[in-house]
Amino acid sequence: MKGKFFWAVVMAMIFIAFILSDVQAQTVRAYMGLSPENNVKVVNFVKEKTGITILQTFQSFGEIEAKVKSEVPNFNADMVGGCGSPLAFMSKKSKWAVPYNSPAWTGISSEFADPDRYWFNMSNFTFVLVGNKDKLREMGLTLPKSWKELLDPKWKDQIVMPSPLSSGTANMMRYTFLALYGEEEGWKYMAALDKNIHHYTRSGNAPTDLVGRGEFLLGITSHENVKKRMDEGYPLIWSVPDEGTGYDGTFAFILAGTKVTDVCQKVIDAFGTQEFSKMMAELGYVTPRPAPNALFGDNPLKYVKLDLGWAADNRPKWNDMWKEKFRTEAK
Amino acid sequence: MARAESLSVPQSSLWEKLKTFVNAELVNILAGFLFLLLVIFLLYPIVAVLIKSVKGPQGLTLSYYLKFFVKGYYFRSLTNTLLLGFINTVVCLVVAFCLAYLTTRGPLSLRKPLKVVSMMPLIAPPYLFAISLIILFGHSGIMTKAFGIKWSLYGFNGVVIAQTLAFIPLAYLMIENTLRSLNPNLEESAYDLGASEVRIIRTITIPLLAPGILKAGLLVFVMTIAEFGNAAILGGRTPFLAPDTYTMIIGEADFEMGSVLSVILIIPCIIIFFLHNYLLTGKKFTTIGGKPVASEPRKITPFVKIPFLAISCAAAMAILVSFGVVLFASFTKILGINNQLVLSHIKNFDSNLAIYNSIKVSLVAALIGAIIGTLLAYVIVRGKFFGRSFIEMVSLSGFALPGTVIGIGYLLAFNTPPFKLTGGIMILALNCVFRFLAVGVEAGISKLHQINIEIEEASSDLGANFMTTFYKIVLPLMFPAFVAGFIYTFMTAIVSLSAVVFLVSPGFELAAVKIFDAAVYGEIGVASATTMKLVLIVMICMVFLNFLTKKTGFDISQKKGV
Repeated sequence: MKGKFFWAVVMAMIFIAFILSDVQAQTVRAYMGLSPENNVKVVNFVKEKTGITILQTFQSFGEIEAKVKSEVPNFNADMVGGCGSPLAFMSKKSKWAVPYNSPAWTGISSEFADPDRYWFNMSNFTFVLVGNKDKLREMGLTLPKSWKELLDPKWKDQIVMPSPLSSGTANMMRYTFLALYGEEEGWKYMAALDKNIHHYTRSGNAPTDLVGRGEFLLGITSHENVKKRMDEGYPLIWSVPDEGTGYDGTFAFILAGTKVTDVCQKVIDAFGTQEFSKMMAELGYVTPRPAPNALFGDNPLKYVKLDLGWAADNRPKWNDMWKEKFRTEAK
Repeated sequence: MARAESLSVPQSSLWEKLKTFVNAELVNILAGFLFLLLVIFLLYPIVAVLIKSVKGPQGLTLSYYLKFFVKGYYFRSLTNTLLLGFINTVVCLVVAFCLAYLTTRGPLSLRKPLKVVSMMPLIAPPYLFAISLIILFGHSGIMTKAFGIKWSLYGFNGVVIAQTLAFIPLAYLMIENTLRSLNPNLEESAYDLGASEVRIIRTITIPLLAPGILKAGLLVFVMTIAEFGNAAILGGRTPFLAPDTYTMIIGEADFEMGSVLSVILIIPCIIIFFLHNYLLTGKKFTTIGGKPVASEPRKITPFVKIPFLAISCAAAMAILVSFGVVLFASFTKILGINNQLVLSHIKNFDSNLAIYNSIKVSLVAALIGAIIGTLLAYVIVRGKFFGRSFIEMVSLSGFALPGTVIGIGYLLAFNTPPFKLTGGIMILALNCVFRFLAVGVEAGISKLHQINIEIEEASSDLGANFMTTFYKIVLPLMFPAFVAGFIYTFMTAIVSLSAVVFLVSPGFELAAVKIFDAAVYGEIGVASATTMKLVLIVMICMVFLNFLTKKTGFDISQKKGV
């Protein structure tokens, strides 16, 4: 009986110690949508430079947008560290973000730092076409040189791209195609492309891995993991087709109602430094402060002419149209 | 001091009154309190989903439902889901019956290994099979390349295979449990009287097993249509209700359509739940009451043995191979492309916080769940108040409700004050508590039916008050049920995904969600390594819990059954 009681007490004590063992350091909760690995890189950078721990869950831009919208006004995070332009612009407009006149961001162009200092664009990213080198060779095919070539029936069920509903990368693809071909022709292009798409992934980086492992031949994907995967030995080739590509920012801002505004501000400051730009450029991002780009080198990318404000304003309408067009019949 | 005493006299008489009142009414007070908890944490979230699905910008509307039935896409997701559930249930039951029959009636040498293998998937996330199927049969999977298979894994077929493998153990666990407590004398007498094996199975074993099989079927069906990991990873563009709900809520913030899909998903579950209750009324204790009797291995005719063995071995092999390739993948650089052995996936510590959180959430959930479950069982069996059977029904309904729906319900219900719980760890734990409550309650109820109420009456006749009786008599006797509830909740909570995926927030990630994300993004190495770590940790926890319960003097193997 005594032994029983002793063990019960031991069990209870371990249990209580375990439950109460929350670490109380300088922490900030953030929604971050770069890519799972690049998120970790940013977290480690901030930890190293400021000692602040960022608690983050990786989510796609669209998912962060959904989450922030559904949580208004009781956000479950203190800040956003990497989301698309639609959410950043909307958060400024709806005052979900709080402005902060960061000294670290002075002298940065209005493309990267909001003139009113509501949002801060950590860096721009872009989308590219990737192919599986080995599989293409095996089948005697080459990587298409233009976006139009993707419509060829030979690619049927061989292409993967993200869904513009959940992925910011795909949202960027959609507004780029609409800007490139004009709204009407752009939708026609996407409808034709849809016939060759195997499925739409949740996240903008998923096609890189799926194509890299040879599950599919071609992918339209975020540039973010391309260099890393090639370095790791995945048989990938990538290109920017002749028509050019689009871009979007990875925006950071402080969410209203946070109890740790000062910690968030330190994180924002860290994002404005030259060192941060250097690190992001090594991952292939186009950065607020100039730094040598590891993926694109010195050749400037050919961009389709874009208006991010126009794209952000139209996003809800285009989402409805997307559902209307591609979610009517099961494939 | 004297002052204090004189003051306390009138209070004490009031206190005495209160004490007598509490003592007499404690069961009812407890019942009221528990009922309140059930209403807040089980009924309210479901109602929140229902309301969301009919609330338009201008008052009530059915337009979202109309959209569901007009658009082919949504309707197809319903038919796909039901078909998946049906195929899956049938296959799981057949395979599980073969396995259970062999492990309880078959040759002794086969019993233990088959049992261990069939239970293995219980400690892994259900979508482990999606990962292993991709490694083996994906477009550039090992088998696909080796045999030049042209068949595409992505789509309905792949999902069915993965889901079936994932839910065999659940069906097995329940059928085996009933089969074990079924006295083999009846079958042996029939055998001695010259009945053929096939005839015995058909006319004796299966009819006696009916409650167990029915229950296993219900559980498998509900779990299959609600668990979306496999479908989201392997489904491609084939629509299924649960993953579509997930995409709509998490990816698109389309709460209205997501709620409609949830409500549609609930309907078949509720129908089956009531059907099950109706069919089982009065039959409940025919099989549970008996003590497990080990049955002598007897000669099984080859006519039965060969197909049973073939099915069982195929299933066992599939499970073993799946675990094997995932283990292998977690040590391989890029499986299939660069098969160099590396430790980098294992050494990737990004998921450690998530694993730590998972254990924490599961332990908290298990403790609260076991306590509430035991108390509920007590008030249901011993209470004499109006609405008792309603409480029983609600507390048992947890497992008939799809996880996705409860997850969305929690998200809708607890996102705003006064019940602001999102963004913390308690919402994850509470969600698990109420979803998996049924097991603890049921174990408690069947335990209490075995304890004669006279013991409690004797105690109170001897002058013990209610609390003393409860503490000294009821609690020790019910402890095995408490342990069963604890262990089951812990095990299920740590690998479950379908509800908690809606509720994780920065800093409160869970391992199951992390693995699912990695698998969806295509990072097979990381997903495999994290899965293996989780499996290992669950195993260690189980051994530790087993050790503790043995030390505290209770045998958990008494009531492992669901």
